[in-house]
Amino acid sequence: MHGVVCHQVAIEFSTGAGPIRVLKGVDFEAPAGQLTMLVGPSGCGKTTLISIIAGLLRGATGSVRVFGEEVTKLSGADLVPFRLANIGFIFQQYNLLSGLNAAENAAIPLVASGMPWPAALRRAGTLLSKLGLDQHLDKLPRQLSGGQQQRVAIARALVHEPRLLLCDEPTAALDGKSGQAVMGLLRELAVHPDRTAIVVTHDPRVYTYADRVAHMEDGLLTKVEDGTSAAHAGAH
Amino acid sequence: MIRVAFKILLHDTAKYLALVMGIAFATLLISQQSAIFHSVMESSVRDIIDVTEADIWVMKPSVETVDQPDQMAELTVNRVRSTAGVEWAVAYYQAVAQLRTSTGQTKSVSLIGVDDSSLVGAPPTMLLGSLSDLRRPDAVIMDAAGFASIFPGTAPRTGDIVEIGQRRAEIVGISHTGPSWTGLPRVHTRRSLAVEFARETLNPVTYVLARSARGGSPEEVASVITQNTGLLAHSRAGFKARSQEWVLNYSGVAENFGITILMGVVIGVAIVGQTFYMFSVENLRQFAALKAIGVSNGRILGMISSQALFVSVVGYCLGIGVASLFFAVFSPQLTGGLRGMFMDPVIFVGTGVFIVFVTLLSCVISVRRVLTVDPAVVFRS
Repeated sequence: MHGVVCHQVAIEFSTGAGPIRVLKGVDFEAPAGQLTMLVGPSGCGKTTLISIIAGLLRGATGSVRVFGEEVTKLSGADLVPFRLANIGFIFQQYNLLSGLNAAENAAIPLVASGMPWPAALRRAGTLLSKLGLDQHLDKLPRQLSGGQQQRVAIARALVHEPRLLLCDEPTAALDGKSGQAVMGLLRELAVHPDRTAIVVTHDPRVYTYADRVAHMEDGLLTKVEDGTSAAHAGAH
Repeated sequence: MIRVAFKILLHDTAKYLALVMGIAFATLLISQQSAIFHSVMESSVRDIIDVTEADIWVMKPSVETVDQPDQMAELTVNRVRSTAGVEWAVAYYQAVAQLRTSTGQTKSVSLIGVDDSSLVGAPPTMLLGSLSDLRRPDAVIMDAAGFASIFPGTAPRTGDIVEIGQRRAEIVGISHTGPSWTGLPRVHTRRSLAVEFARETLNPVTYVLARSARGGSPEEVASVITQNTGLLAHSRAGFKARSQEWVLNYSGVAENFGITILMGVVIGVAIVGQTFYMFSVENLRQFAALKAIGVSNGRILGMISSQALFVSVVGYCLGIGVASLFFAVFSPQLTGGLRGMFMDPVIFVGTGVFIVFVTLLSCVISVRRVLTVDPAVVFRS
């Protein structure tokens, strides 16, 4: 089953020097139960593509289906609950709320969905424990290392069991060892038969955690290969 | 999500305190200046306020404010008494006279002659002596602040002999009353004695104080008196409003206090608006993350509104507390220009409503940035 199917997705942005076509008709698929990496040089359109898939960026042409739902056809008001129910996000800069402790940060999607705080905190605490943060539930983001903050972000992205997980450069702000650890946890917890995980990265060292690696260049999808092959190619 | 809003707000202690202090300062400035303005306006009609028994004031049509009376013949009292709807009417006399102490010091005083038989118009609060002492020969009652200005450093007491209009007078009582518009010491005595102190050759009255018969409206009875006598009659509230209107028109007090209150409003709005705006903008990325996750603009608006409501209530309580403390300290004093000043409940509540409104308005202005922020910003490093 394909979790995400993009067909001929294109978008252009207006600039002072005229319009720039950032995506030029991308056909991309991310099957459920797999971790797909979207890789390529800076400015090739990776982040733009996942922003469109998430419904955060509108105005694109073509078709984007997320578990059968045509995202480009949803209104702005419909996209908000759609994201809350179906999508988990992991950002490069973590974007944790500075005034909330680890457990509260991880619980936000549940609370936003209407779950009472005590139940949400219990569930977030359980997930954070799986991520090795059971001793850090009460700590504020500034009291945690980068790797620990990213693990809180993983918990926040998965706590409401979304069907689609979108990760934007999740290891970019981490050292090599922490990055590997985070990707290992992500792989272990995120990959699920009913879930599609898409990870944007330009770090070849983490290709090994992918089932599929989709290469982008200059606004187009150029190649799709399995993770092992991509890791070998990246190593050479 | 309200809990999240409070956590975000309280986490940044410096900005939270800046917001609360800004609102508290604006509250203090607005409420205190408004209350002083209100109290000053009340002092301009001190004589009307102090005479609680009468609900109608009768005067010559030329009178514009209570402190500028015009004399009438004593017979006027009977004309008012004979008007339908009047329960009783008595004479009242006001003048400025010269007082001389035994040491030769002179001072202008505000002389108030109350009805000889009923003592209607006498001061409402006595500190020393009693009102009935006014019936004694040469008896006068002086207000505490006036006594302090004539006998500096002397505790209020009775028994001092002074001259008023070159006639002997004995201070038989000390009253307590709020400040008057002129600031002169206030000396109450019987009207028959007051006209002698003022060295009047006739036996004039300046006002006729009357009471409407039970069940009658003071306004309606005053209107009948005006029609029947050709004099000007006002209800107590009406004369108070007319006198205060004159003060507002000719004294400049409204402009002076208005500017200060306006400054309070502008400073308050500026501090609160700017701090709240900065607070919201600096948390823009956090709000963008919430929007990306799927928190609606409506809920974010609710979060920011609850932050604004919370800081406005805390800041208001702090500011109104300091303002109340100010009046609690100064109002009970027997002397000094701030004695008797108070905060009217309307100012207390009105300032609160205004502060909450202004804070919510500032919040609405600053929240626009949050509501229009592109949630995709969270993907940018």
